[in-house]
Amino acid sequence: MSETRTVSRLSDVEFGEALPVFDPDTSLDNVKRFTVAAGWNSPRFTDHEAARKQGLPGALVPGIMSQGFLAAMIHRWAPEAQIENVDTIFRAPVVVDEPHHINGVVTDIDEDTGTVEVDLTVTNTKNETRVFGTARVHLPA
Amino acid sequence: MTALLDLDAIRAEFLNKDFDEQTFTVDATKLADYAFACGEQAACYIDPEHPEFQAPPTFPSSLSPGRRLPEGFPELPGMGMDAGKAVAPIKPIRPGTTISAKTHLHDVYAKTGRSGRMTFLVTRMELYNEIGERLATADTRVVIREKPDGND
Repeated sequence: MSETRTVSRLSDVEFGEALPVFDPDTSLDNVKRFTVAAGWNSPRFTDHEAARKQGLPGALVPGIMSQGFLAAMIHRWAPEAQIENVDTIFRAPVVVDEPHHINGVVTDIDEDTGTVEVDLTVTNTKNETRVFGTARVHLPA
Repeated sequence: MTALLDLDAIRAEFLNKDFDEQTFTVDATKLADYAFACGEQAACYIDPEHPEFQAPPTFPSSLSPGRRLPEGFPELPGMGMDAGKAVAPIKPIRPGTTISAKTHLHDVYAKTGRSGRMTFLVTRMELYNEIGERLATADTRVVIREKPDGND
């Protein structure tokens, strides 16, 4: 069992450090909550049957919600972090009601700018990458 | 035969020129729900009563321009697929803010492989508050697989 480690300063971060794994809430209820808040009310996100009629495997977690998951994961690891950039590539569908895991690893530390770069991946239970992201985060010295 | 997009001509005519402007207002309850659904835990994102309450940093990605590409843009030679989104928060976005969002074509580039050329179009939305301060940028990338000779 991995310990849940948080960092508050740049000096706490280690190169190659793995962020605590985050299992986001991909339930239909939570996705519906998100789509109402975001104004993205397409049935492909909120109705498995409607999504399948469009040729999809089921209702999809919106890409921007996956991007939000990545930011939340960073904040859970580093509550004092200021996110400067999050770049996400949507490689494959994140299907609603299926468990997913988000892993992250520190790939660069820049002491001059006070920033850390993190690579993040959203995977399903078959360990297939669905979303890949990189983030640049500023931490207090 | 469908010609490949002339990327130099596209850059000369369309790059870095605003082609859309929208206005958005942000509601505290929806911002809090957005953040909570994404898994945010900090009160500044999920509690509208918090003195530092603000939109979660990826919120700008949810805003859409009125059109995806500039008027007069050449017809795309294939289906555009979502190639990802990037967001760069600059200043906190507070509830009640009237956001002006201007969109321009930010980058056009191509990658060529064995299956042909893939052209990437990057549109950038820049968000400003009522006094003209830039709040964030949000990029959308679209990729088109070009098939100039009709081969699959």
